[in-house]
Amino acid sequence: MEERTEEGKYSNLILSLKVFFSNRTAVAGMVIFLAYVVDALIMQFDPRLLGVTNPNQFTYNFVNPVPQPPSSQYPLGTTYPGINLLQAILEAIRVDLGYSMLIVVGGAVIGAVVGILAAYVGGYLDELLMRFTDIFFSVPYLVLAIAVGFALGRSFTSMVIALIIVWWPIYARYTRSLTLSIKESVFVEAAKAAGASMVRIMFKHILPNTLPPVVVQISLDLGSVVGVFATLAFIGFIPNANTPELGYLASLGLNYVQSAPWTVIFPGLAITLFALSVNLMGDGLRDVIDPRRRS
Amino acid sequence: MISIKLWVYVLRRILILIPTLIGLTLLVFVLVHIQGNNLILAEYINPRLTGQARELEIQRLTQEFHLDQPVYVQYFYWLGQVLTGNLGYTNTPIYSGPVTTAITLFLPNTVVLSLFAALLIWLIGIPLGVFSAVNRDSPADQGIRVFSFTLYSMPIYLIAIALILLLGVYLNVLPFSGEVSPQMVAGLSWFRDGISYPTHVLLIDAILHGDYAVAWNAFLHLIMPSLTLALAVMAGIIRILRASMLEVLEQDYIRLARAKGVPERVVNNLHARRNAMLPVVTSFGYTVAGLLGGVVVVESVFDFPGIGYWTTQALLNNDIGGIMASTLLFGIVLVLTTLILDLVYAVVDPRIRY
Amino acid sequence: MERVKERAKVLEIKDLRVSFHTRRGVFKALRGVDLELYKGEVLGLAGESGSGKSTLGLAIMGLLPRNARVESGEVLLDGSKDVLKRLRDYGSRDVKFDPRKNEKLIKRLNKELREVRGRALAMVFQEPLTSLNPVLQVGYQIAEAVYYHDPMRLVRRAISRNRCTQADLRDLMTTLKTKGEEALIEEVEKRNLRGLEEQILSIWRRQDIHEAKKEKLILSLDKHKLDSKDRLGISIYLRGLQRVPVLGRLAKDALIKEGYRLAVEILTYLGIPHPEKVVRMYPHELSGGMRQRVVIGIAIVNNPEIVIMDEPTSALDVTIQAQILELVSSLKASSNRSFIFISHDLSVLAEVSDRIAIMYAGKIAEVGPVKVIFEEPQHPYTKMLMDAIPTMDKTELKAIPGSVPDMRSPPKGCSFSNRCPFVMPKCKEMEPPMVEVSEGHKVACFLVGERK
Repeated sequence: MEERTEEGKYSNLILSLKVFFSNRTAVAGMVIFLAYVVDALIMQFDPRLLGVTNPNQFTYNFVNPVPQPPSSQYPLGTTYPGINLLQAILEAIRVDLGYSMLIVVGGAVIGAVVGILAAYVGGYLDELLMRFTDIFFSVPYLVLAIAVGFALGRSFTSMVIALIIVWWPIYARYTRSLTLSIKESVFVEAAKAAGASMVRIMFKHILPNTLPPVVVQISLDLGSVVGVFATLAFIGFIPNANTPELGYLASLGLNYVQSAPWTVIFPGLAITLFALSVNLMGDGLRDVIDPRRRS
Repeated sequence: MISIKLWVYVLRRILILIPTLIGLTLLVFVLVHIQGNNLILAEYINPRLTGQARELEIQRLTQEFHLDQPVYVQYFYWLGQVLTGNLGYTNTPIYSGPVTTAITLFLPNTVVLSLFAALLIWLIGIPLGVFSAVNRDSPADQGIRVFSFTLYSMPIYLIAIALILLLGVYLNVLPFSGEVSPQMVAGLSWFRDGISYPTHVLLIDAILHGDYAVAWNAFLHLIMPSLTLALAVMAGIIRILRASMLEVLEQDYIRLARAKGVPERVVNNLHARRNAMLPVVTSFGYTVAGLLGGVVVVESVFDFPGIGYWTTQALLNNDIGGIMASTLLFGIVLVLTTLILDLVYAVVDPRIRY
Repeated sequence: MERVKERAKVLEIKDLRVSFHTRRGVFKALRGVDLELYKGEVLGLAGESGSGKSTLGLAIMGLLPRNARVESGEVLLDGSKDVLKRLRDYGSRDVKFDPRKNEKLIKRLNKELREVRGRALAMVFQEPLTSLNPVLQVGYQIAEAVYYHDPMRLVRRAISRNRCTQADLRDLMTTLKTKGEEALIEEVEKRNLRGLEEQILSIWRRQDIHEAKKEKLILSLDKHKLDSKDRLGISIYLRGLQRVPVLGRLAKDALIKEGYRLAVEILTYLGIPHPEKVVRMYPHELSGGMRQRVVIGIAIVNNPEIVIMDEPTSALDVTIQAQILELVSSLKASSNRSFIFISHDLSVLAEVSDRIAIMYAGKIAEVGPVKVIFEEPQHPYTKMLMDAIPTMDKTELKAIPGSVPDMRSPPKGCSFSNRCPFVMPKCKEMEPPMVEVSEGHKVACFLVGERK
């Protein structure tokens, strides 16, 4: 009997991998995503590999500040003031990727704890926590992020905090609904009957089962978060940030957009490609965990 | 019978709103207070006051808002001011003065813009989603999927810039800055200091005054912002609708509809679509939130004088009054819209438990 | 037995092979099915789950899913119309099966079969709870079936009722009482009131009310005149303007409204209480048994020649089940329709069927008149099924040992060989042919062949 289930698990894993890898677009998404991650890691640990000396700052060139079109020297052209776009984008990916990961994972952790607690304990606590999330859903997330970030002072740190505050309620609701269905399942009943403590059931039995769908959600959200993060920077959330960030980078070329469209388009495409890749990957992962889509 | 149940449901839904709205004010209050008293003073001091008069005003405000008392006491005094319509002052390049006046100037424009966008979503997004699912895997479906997936992944400002470059610069068919071409309104009696009267929506005012050339110009200025907004929001709707349509098309009742010989057109557009729309309607809350959030970006990229433009101007000019008022306002608009959509949902889906 | 042979075949299935292409492999659901359906009979189709009986039902309707490959075979309606031709032409080709391509063909098939489905062929599905559209009113779902097949029937009904006078109704009532139904129909024709007869008869044939009440109801038919909106809608329809956007809507509304009246008559006939209220309800407001009656109503409203019932009672309570079976028996008695009644429950089939076909692993194992199948089953599988039916006097139930073979790779030879107590070496080698043991009784087993 034991052997059979082991084998079942194994074949299940194989089937999951098969499902994922038979989806060519999902695999393509994963490859692009990994490329972004590799770039971010290089910038973090050894930027000289890509010929960058300081990935924390733009390299300005005030001698020739006007945007130049793509050329052999600057494959993606330059943006105001004389920034090499390719290099700037490669640098900026680290910041966008890192902060977005922080936001999504931070939001997911807070949300998961609140969601599981609400669903498992139920009753008044559930009602209270859900009304609490309602408050955050009552303001459009971009506006809320602006307000929270503004109140905390206009900086990257407050932007991250603001977006975590915007995002956790989504995860709280999601894990709550997941927990509600898992709570009714046989193995939780069995654990209860065996006298497991509430905390043990929540973290040993329920949390691991909410994890796969939450991970998929994280993957899908990463794309939106990067977009919102860059958008906030684009509309000028951070004054005079000399930090390589894709939205801010795009805003630098805004005054030249009619004569030098690449200054906005290329940083924008860098975000779009990233969002596209995580969305494709996330869709592929969702197919894996959704038994209905397997057949 | 059913209508009584429906009324009870409406009433209950409205009652649920009250804690949410109280929470909303609490949230804004916390934000205003997070750095102590100086923000609330900044919010309520008339920016025109200087020197001695300013000092006196600070004293008056400290007393009026009970700023020397514990925070929870302050909340109720602040709430009292908000409820009586006193939202402080805003000081931005596009408008400087009482917040309430700013709202009457900017809100109508935003409402018109959002309604236009919603109309475009309805006219383009819904049919595309249905078509895509019905013609699954066809070249058209694949095109629509790539289109919606890319749009979905694009930050909204990029969509705006792409449209500006395409329609505004290269094809040069549509204007993309402001609400009207300045030369069109120069010297008009009902348009002063960038503000049109009486509704403050240029398009409507121009029609009211019978100035159709200006109205047409204003309409052209409305197209690109609303199209950007629509495209940004549509992407998600097409995806949800396509997925739910595909799921519905597998249902037993669709098979039965075919088994009784209903034409495919009717199977798709009545039997399937009406069911497939339900998840779209449920997700309208997110959609509206996205739409209103998008308003902020779109209005500031297109210099379109609405609440969103005001919000970003307030942000760039460190204007707490503008930020907090627009947060409150956006919140109220979102909550009310969600309420209305919920009620629509209750009418559309007979299964809903009132 | 002779009589059966003389009857006209309304449906003929020849060597039908269908397989499902899934990620887990290719499942061979039907592996060469031959079957006929005669006019006016109920054919019971029995088998375990996974034997392919539901697939057979869907195949006849042409309602196969996109991953179903029709490898060979024909489904002939009225001896000529080849339902699955399109899918078979693709499925029988020796190319890699592409469900997308198949789906395109299914779409075309849906268009082609639209006229046939619901009119000549109707189906009742297994799950009454999910078979009705949750967002459409019950009345609409019945009315629509008529609207898309025979809109003129609705027009005739509405106009004739609108035109008839109290004197007409009195005369017709007298004709009906003195000379019977046929004379009534003639009389209605003579008075140019076609469409009225079915309304009169649907009241006249009711079992639940007294004759005086029926008379009263018939005589008050002229009270239900059309309002101006309906008259407008119908005249739009008669001028052929139903394709014009707004006008078409008016026409459809008027006809569907008449369809609701028809739906009330059908529901009354099917024994649903308060049908006037029920037609305005949504499916979730009805019980399972009521919903199944509605589905049956949709199936019979156009008087189709063939009705396929796929486990219509399996999802219902036993008491409701009995009511539905009674309903099917009465439907059979009152019309010349043919039924295919699919069930895993032989005792259910015994009640309603004229003939029974036993399916096993995608093939017909045995087929014959109900009496013969129950009294002298020949195939070991049939015998074992009979032993597994619970009855009062049996002390123990014999379950059939083993399980249905994996349909991805069905065994060579007889598919029942791995469970058969009488298995012989050659059973594992080749498939037993269908042998006619007696008139209309065919068995696919070597044991039978041996004996002959």
